[in-house]
Amino acid sequence: MKAVVIGPGRVGLGFAGHLLHRSGYQICFVGRRRAVAPLMAAGEYVVRLTDGHRLHEDRVSGVSAIDISCSSEVEQAIADADVVCTAVGPRALDSVAPLLARGLSAAKQQVNVIAFENAEDAGRRLRRLVAEQVGFEHAGRHGFSGAVVSRVVAHRLPPERPGDPLVLIGEPHTEFAVDAAALNHPLPRIEGLVAVDDFTAFYRRKLYRYSAGHAATAYLGQLKGYRYLHAAIRDPEIAQLVRAAVREGQAGLRAAYGPHVAGDDAEVEAIIDRFGNAELGDTVARVGRDVPRKLGPSDRLLGAARLAEHAGVAPVRLAQAAAAALCFKDGGDPPVVAPREGTASGRSRVARLLSGIGHLPPTSPLARLIQNEWQGLMDGWEDGNLMLSLEDRLWAWSSNSHAPAGRLAS
Amino acid sequence: MKIAFLMRQPAPGGQSVTTEVLRLLRDWGTTVDVLHPENQATNLAEMTPSHDLYVLRSVSDASIAHAGILDSLGARIINPYPVSRDCRDKVLVTALLLRAGIPVPGTWVVERPTQLAPLLDGGPIVVKPTRGSQGRGVHVVWDVDELLELGAGDGPMLAQRFHPRQGRDRKLYCIGGQLFGVKRVWPARTYEEKTGEPFTVTAELRDIALQVGAVIGTDLFGLDIVISDDRPYVVDVNPFPGFKGVPEAALRLADYVYAAAALAVIEAGQAVPRPVGLTA
Repeated sequence: MKAVVIGPGRVGLGFAGHLLHRSGYQICFVGRRRAVAPLMAAGEYVVRLTDGHRLHEDRVSGVSAIDISCSSEVEQAIADADVVCTAVGPRALDSVAPLLARGLSAAKQQVNVIAFENAEDAGRRLRRLVAEQVGFEHAGRHGFSGAVVSRVVAHRLPPERPGDPLVLIGEPHTEFAVDAAALNHPLPRIEGLVAVDDFTAFYRRKLYRYSAGHAATAYLGQLKGYRYLHAAIRDPEIAQLVRAAVREGQAGLRAAYGPHVAGDDAEVEAIIDRFGNAELGDTVARVGRDVPRKLGPSDRLLGAARLAEHAGVAPVRLAQAAAAALCFKDGGDPPVVAPREGTASGRSRVARLLSGIGHLPPTSPLARLIQNEWQGLMDGWEDGNLMLSLEDRLWAWSSNSHAPAGRLAS
Repeated sequence: MKIAFLMRQPAPGGQSVTTEVLRLLRDWGTTVDVLHPENQATNLAEMTPSHDLYVLRSVSDASIAHAGILDSLGARIINPYPVSRDCRDKVLVTALLLRAGIPVPGTWVVERPTQLAPLLDGGPIVVKPTRGSQGRGVHVVWDVDELLELGAGDGPMLAQRFHPRQGRDRKLYCIGGQLFGVKRVWPARTYEEKTGEPFTVTAELRDIALQVGAVIGTDLFGLDIVISDDRPYVVDVNPFPGFKGVPEAALRLADYVYAAAALAVIEAGQAVPRPVGLTA
């Protein structure tokens, strides 16, 4: 069995590639020259899995890799494959679709394409993009599904020395849900594959429980000055708030899709427990980045909040997390709403922002809830400070120019 | 990652912030060793840095000597050895603060208490040992009789003009560039008094604290500020305070130490997760 994985990043190598290898596939990775070079040199890589207590290491050996600019080679690899996986990020699907289309149109056999993109419509979108290139008849021969990835792969470590393998660090989870009706049968035999009839429900289950809690931990964690996610979730205020936010998302899921999708309290605790896995070395900076996408209308915070509202639950904690997201500093970039903007102009900017990226009408209850939470944070928030207590609204200062070479240190 | 704490033997059953930091770091999978240089014979010829990061928690002579050797061997110490060594000298620290324009009460150094008598004409003074901590040996002296009662100390003494306190003292704590404020009565006697009450640090106090950090060259320290006539005065600097009263102090300290250890490992050339968004 042959598989092609387009996108040798954290998910492509640390999840899709790993599971394909364990299932007996011969894998060819496709990516930019710099990304595939270590695979070409080593012919293998290492996946290190940890739940915070136990460590397991797998060596994914016998892999090949092709520079994506070598179109004919890539097309041939796709044409020969039984399964093609993408893990390039939803925004890059457009750019890989023409290559994928040419490869699939040359395939004699039916191919299943699985998009590990953490996007609800990735499978449908890829099918449409391929059909635009080669026509619906050709595209229709092949299966296209998104995948709900359960594993966090936090790091892709470069080789220590030339020729050494890349090292991926992630969680041990193996499940990924695919849309049963969107793939050709028999389904590919890949460890962890779970074919579901209601893909959207399972996609949202992950997004509105795990991803919502993950993002809330990062945004509140940075607000309170923590560096690592495993430290942030140890803060009792943050843990309580994140737990409540996940339960709000869960309430929405329960009303929309039923208890089998929403899960129970034990599942919420298991999710919170995962955020405390220090072995991943995950930082609030990594988990929180790309705020505009994460505040999208159907994404983890606003999507979960909307669903909770439909279920009659006021998404107070999700709104608090969304307000914290507006304060989030992504690397060297300023927060999406500058702290020194006056409260009145800031409030209207928040309204415009939520309307623009979150499609929330400014007068909607959810928009008002987030605006109120944001305004509550404004009493004392300045660029460079951090919150000492969410409950008491106490602030502390954070200096980025610390560790100076002072008189005594020299 | 391997981290070593140089510290005194904690009191049995003690629940210090440091004890909690050790527990958190171990929970997070870090190997943490506690070294008590006071209680061991150290073979200098065999000393070599065997940890990714050292935390100099104690400023005892033995710990400072131990840290000095580690420093000379290239060990990574989160709170720089020279800072911890020299912060024990209150004369040096006060002189540096004064030179940097940081508000400090008028300060004198004398060999014998009686040399301070003329200063009492200008009002009461605070007499403290040049090497001391946790308020030990600190006296407010109002007249010559009290001065005579002090007797001759072991070495030079530091005297500072006494400024009547306006409310509680402000304790400022810096953990990796993050500044926290706690109001506390002086002297604190009960547990509640020692814990104090957190407060939002004003811009004025923040600037003073950042200046102090810049002058002494560390981002892990504490300082005591007295407010008198609406003016702040720095009266003490501590290279590794207890952080009492800072909400989630142990968690914040552990988070900082963990990040510093990760960076130390990376800089040593080992492939470990690079902490995104963290700077050296």
